Amino acid sequence: MRTTRRTLIATGAALPFLRLTGAQAQRTPGLLRFGLSAFPPSVQPWANTGTAAATVKLLIHRGLLSYDTKGNLRGELAEEWRNEGAEAWVFRLRPNAVFHNGEPVTASDVKWNLEQIAAERSTAYYRAEMQGIERIETPDERTVRIVMKSPIATLPNWMASYHMGMVSRRSPAGQPIGAGPFVIRSQERGTSLDLVAFDKYYKPGLPKLRALRLVAYADENLRVAALQAGDVDLIEYVPWQSMASIEADERFKLDTVDGPFMYLLFNATRGPLGDARVRRAIAHAIRRDDIVKAAFFGRGSPLEGMPIQPNSEFHDPELSKGWRYDPAEARRLLAEAGHPNGFSTSILATAQYGMHKNTAEVVQQSLADIGIQAELRLPDWATRVSLGNRGQYEIAVNGTSTDNNDPDGLSNLVNGSLSPSYVRSYGLRVPRLEELMAQARAEFDTAKRREIYRDAQRVVLEEVPIVGLAWRSQGYAMAREVTGFKNMPGSLSFFSGITLEETAIG
Amino acid sequence: MGWVARRIGVSLLLVWIVASIVFLAIHLVPGDPAELLLSSGGVAPDPGAVAELRDRLGLNLPLAQQYVSFLSGVVRGDLGTSLVDEYPVLDEILLRLPRTLELIAAGALIAVLVGIPAGTLAALRRGSAFDRIASGVAALLLAVPVFVVGTLLVLVFAQILRWMPAGGYVPLAEDPWRHLTLLALPALAIGKGLVAVVFRMTRASVLDALSRDFVRTARAKGLSPSRVLMRHVVRNALIPVLTVLALHMGTLLGGTVLVEYVFNWPGLSTPLLRAVEARDYPMVVGIVLTISALFVLLNLVMDLVYAALDPRIRHA
Amino acid sequence: MRPGTKRLWVPAGLVALIVLLALLAPLLGLPDPVRQDVAQRLAGPMPGSPLGRDEFGRDVLSRLIWGARSSLAVAFASASIACLFGTILGLLGGWFRGLGEFLAVRSMDIVLCFPPVLLALLVVTLLGPGAGTLIMVLSVLYLPGFVRVTYAEVLSARSHDYVEAVRALGASAGRILTRTVLPNVAGPILVQFSLAVASAVVLESGLSFLGLGVVPPAPSWGLMIRGARATMAQAPLLLLWPCLALTLTILAMNLLCDALRDAMDPRTATARPRLRLLDRVLPGLVPPAPNAEAPEAVLEVGGLTVEIATPRGPIRPVEDVSFAVHAGETLAIVGESGSGKSVTATSVMGLLPPAARPVAGAAWLEGRDLLRLPEPELRRLRGGAMAMVFQDPMSSLNPVHRVGDQIAEAIRAHRRGVTQAQAWSRAVDLLRRVGIADPERRARAYPHEMSGGMRQRVMIAMAVANEPKLLIADEPTTALDVTVQAQILDLLAELRRETGMALIFITHSLGVVAEIADRVVVMYAGQVVEQGSVPEVFGAPLHPYTRALLAAVPDGDTAPAGIPGVVPQPHAFPVGCRFAARCPHAKPACEAAPPALEGAGEGRTVRCIRWAEIGAKKAEAVA
Repeated sequence: MRTTRRTLIATGAALPFLRLTGAQAQRTPGLLRFGLSAFPPSVQPWANTGTAAATVKLLIHRGLLSYDTKGNLRGELAEEWRNEGAEAWVFRLRPNAVFHNGEPVTASDVKWNLEQIAAERSTAYYRAEMQGIERIETPDERTVRIVMKSPIATLPNWMASYHMGMVSRRSPAGQPIGAGPFVIRSQERGTSLDLVAFDKYYKPGLPKLRALRLVAYADENLRVAALQAGDVDLIEYVPWQSMASIEADERFKLDTVDGPFMYLLFNATRGPLGDARVRRAIAHAIRRDDIVKAAFFGRGSPLEGMPIQPNSEFHDPELSKGWRYDPAEARRLLAEAGHPNGFSTSILATAQYGMHKNTAEVVQQSLADIGIQAELRLPDWATRVSLGNRGQYEIAVNGTSTDNNDPDGLSNLVNGSLSPSYVRSYGLRVPRLEELMAQARAEFDTAKRREIYRDAQRVVLEEVPIVGLAWRSQGYAMAREVTGFKNMPGSLSFFSGITLEETAIG
Repeated sequence: MGWVARRIGVSLLLVWIVASIVFLAIHLVPGDPAELLLSSGGVAPDPGAVAELRDRLGLNLPLAQQYVSFLSGVVRGDLGTSLVDEYPVLDEILLRLPRTLELIAAGALIAVLVGIPAGTLAALRRGSAFDRIASGVAALLLAVPVFVVGTLLVLVFAQILRWMPAGGYVPLAEDPWRHLTLLALPALAIGKGLVAVVFRMTRASVLDALSRDFVRTARAKGLSPSRVLMRHVVRNALIPVLTVLALHMGTLLGGTVLVEYVFNWPGLSTPLLRAVEARDYPMVVGIVLTISALFVLLNLVMDLVYAALDPRIRHA
Repeated sequence: MRPGTKRLWVPAGLVALIVLLALLAPLLGLPDPVRQDVAQRLAGPMPGSPLGRDEFGRDVLSRLIWGARSSLAVAFASASIACLFGTILGLLGGWFRGLGEFLAVRSMDIVLCFPPVLLALLVVTLLGPGAGTLIMVLSVLYLPGFVRVTYAEVLSARSHDYVEAVRALGASAGRILTRTVLPNVAGPILVQFSLAVASAVVLESGLSFLGLGVVPPAPSWGLMIRGARATMAQAPLLLLWPCLALTLTILAMNLLCDALRDAMDPRTATARPRLRLLDRVLPGLVPPAPNAEAPEAVLEVGGLTVEIATPRGPIRPVEDVSFAVHAGETLAIVGESGSGKSVTATSVMGLLPPAARPVAGAAWLEGRDLLRLPEPELRRLRGGAMAMVFQDPMSSLNPVHRVGDQIAEAIRAHRRGVTQAQAWSRAVDLLRRVGIADPERRARAYPHEMSGGMRQRVMIAMAVANEPKLLIADEPTTALDVTVQAQILDLLAELRRETGMALIFITHSLGVVAEIADRVVVMYAGQVVEQGSVPEVFGAPLHPYTRALLAAVPDGDTAPAGIPGVVPQPHAFPVGCRFAARCPHAKPACEAAPPALEGAGEGRTVRCIRWAEIGAKKAEAVA
């Protein structure tokens, strides 16, 4: 009894001094500890399972192409690529790429992958796109020739996606073998993943790290705390409220880009929202500065037109301001549409994500100012997705990032001919826009594409299939000692995991 | 023995009812697991891919058929696999349940070590400054939400003092000291609410015991105050305190969500919450089944402990 | 008004104030709680916004008060619904038993099996978030608590005499439940209600944090905390205000709940003293010297006066009581309930409730004044030189310890160096001595396993364990049936004879007095009115009260019921003779001044100014 008590007192008294010996994790050379915002639900190579999974997929898999840190396409498994006529694309594979099982990456592997993705029983993200392939030719083991059913100018962008990782065709069922710079050594479901460098990775000298430990921190405050306490070296999804303090702290670096954005969707089959003038009135009524301030702590910028990145070659300074805040214009449009005193409606968002909720709150206030009384509906995310897919809403708030920086990525959001989805307005078709988007996808000449997208932007401003609200800042924060990691530009921010191959620490 | 058999029968019935309600409810709740999984990250999935996944996961079967196959699985000791990554539900539970139990046990230990002495002292010095301050602190502990306390603890101990890691988990076998430092903060946060409950219950219970005739008898025997207190007041006052503590611990089985979230403690509540969010049906039902079975078991054990503490119940 | 209810006012007022503030929110001229002004985001205190602005630039004070409305409305509504349905289910389950009991009580286990957060998640996702859903979830969560409390109370109420009586009269179940049972279980239910409200306020904040509660932009404390947590680094005060409001509300509800519990509990409904178990400092009064004429008395009490502090001022349930008891002698103290018999005994033992203290007099035992002994020394005497046997052996024995242990404990408290085994075997001997068959086995029994008579034998064994010089038995046979009473009396008489201890026997039964006592002290309204040897007092009672007592009880075995009127309450003691109002011989002089205790022959005293006169008349009448 006495000894127990004495031991207890002794340990209690010693508590403050023991941190030196073990309370704090020490850095291991060559090991980077990365704080994820969520544990990847699963890391199947082709299906979409979210952005946390994207980071892991970018570590263990490589596709034909990817992007460099400026956002330009670069070769990965393929070292060069070119189109032959409007329908065909030829990819030349590099000779030294091998899968984790040591076998070389061959044209037959690539062909098998593309066939699996396009298969009837596929759950792949690019399933529909790959089903547009007419045939795949493999003249030799280093050449893949893809012939499309119709001209596609954006095929290289698809091939650069992290949903298009190539795995060995001899992978055991359920255990895809990739060709990326790292291999998963162990994982605890829902908690952490341990990866080690792949010694036969095809880029000489890469990866620079010997090992990577990915730990999921669902609570954003704790994620920041873990960085500040030295538990991890790098975190993703830096919460906006913490960006300033991290910037001010000389122990850390903050790397942000304005990539993802928030926008409004409409159910055109419900009451006044079928009228483009009402939608345009709403577009002019939103105080976007307030959204940037209240939802993103000033870390973002207003989005007053079609969501095309300001640094994109398709950006048009004039058209990108088409929906500037103008309550008088909004009221005029409402009156013109026959609703001079506004109307009652509802806004669907989710309480599960603070940015959705906060954005919805500002939108609600903005609409109230022009007489539109909207009630907030904030179910959990799963219900919100379900309601969105079934068109059971009037106005909805959503946040997303396009698949790549090409405006073609916006088709998904504005093309009403696609199946109903919570990311698109419901029952809202703009035939002219659909036409323009298809035309641009088949056009290989950049100058002509720019013209087509300019027209498309005019149509969007007029017809308002969606209302852009705000670009939001997407940030990574890391210890000073971390080098080589880069937040990729624009909507490629979620591709940043690719730079982990060049990341070093120490 | 008939009583025990009946008791176990009722318990099994209870667990079955709870599991069935949850099974039905989670399937009725809007949201489709296949759609959700492929929509992760706010993108629109290909409808064909969603249909294919639904089919693969067996979600297109009639609900009754899914229910029957779930029940027959349970009978064989198989809780199915996750819809998200085909991970066996039972493995997940076996991995994480001990951690949640450890957290609750550590919190309860703190609650008992702090709450019972403080409650006893407050009752003995009823109306004194200590009583008032302790009651105020108890109200404060109850009132300040655990997610605020948790964040403050992390701020002070991990970020400012840097005494301990901000959160996470290391198995005891791997690094005992680090395991305990990581346990300390979440256990404090769990203990926070329990301390308040145990304190209030102890105070009331000791006050009640103090007014009992047998305490007067004990004093009439010339026992020392400490002996009267320990053997006749606290000993008797403990019974209701332990009942309430056990009830609260039972509720915590699935209720450590916020603490696990705030401290990144990989217990059982987090996968439950994630599973509900992802509509991972087998995972939700499996975890709830486990929790309710444990709860029923806890009640059974409490009855035994109760009988050990209170001989009047033993023979009833 | 009961003193308990008085203490209700402070917490009730506090709760009422909070509720009133919430109700009056629209009339207070506060800024619109949902009106955003993002330019003033996170602004500190400013004109018009004494607590500053939140993350949307909304007025914090206004949101705090309007938030009280939704937080409290949810809490009260859910607690009320749970209370209503829970009480009904508990009443039905407890009254009808059988299937009803199974359905009402076991079904609650289903609710308890659900993790609360999961229940909330499921219900909210099914019905959509909002105050209505929140109320539903919370009321379901609190339902089992009410059912259990009501059920338990109904079970215990069922067995009570008053319920049995109403049942015997043939009242319908519904009538009994609503008219008789419900009012008696109202106390615990009310306490449960206030607990549920406090807990609901907290849960609301937790669920709102998870996005399962009140829908924005409507203010609620939970939502305010959720919002403020994100801006903790920028504006920590935003977190403080709602947490403070929550704490205050819970504190007020807890206080109210404690006060309610006290007000409903008859045990604590009397005086509300501070309990100081460890120190009892007695006022330093000048002790009267022990009576030099009877130095061999085991206990000599002189001029004992006890005062109890009550909310209405001090009362004196015992005033100027003197008596003595010698070795081997049995002294009976008789009187109706409220005459001060037990208070006298407990003050000698030093076991007065903390509110009561002796303010005058002395009690000499073995040359020491018990009233002025420090507690540790008094403790050495208690259970040693003096011991006491109480009225109800069931409640006086600790239900959770074996009787052998309870006796052994008494032995070891006074004898250093006695091992537990020795004490135990001595306890077995004592049990044998007090006439318990098979004492080895009985020593291991718990009190509830014994009959009433056996329990009282255990109490006696415990009392005589250390061979006391003085044994005080406070109505030791009242709770027992007649045949057992006689056995216990025999046992006590036997023990006294054997050990030569002095025995003080407190009773209201004159039959018992005649049987066991050598001398008798008659008490009335806190005073000794007559004392003397039993044959003398019974043969020729001097005080009208003694006479009335003897006349009212021909067989000497039932309570004196024949005297008109009741004993006056301590706070309404008359100035003069306290029995005057009921006395057939009362004269105006009796009520003018307090009568003194007069000597009336060898070892006899009487407190009546007319005793000689009346005695003479009686003698005349007889003659």
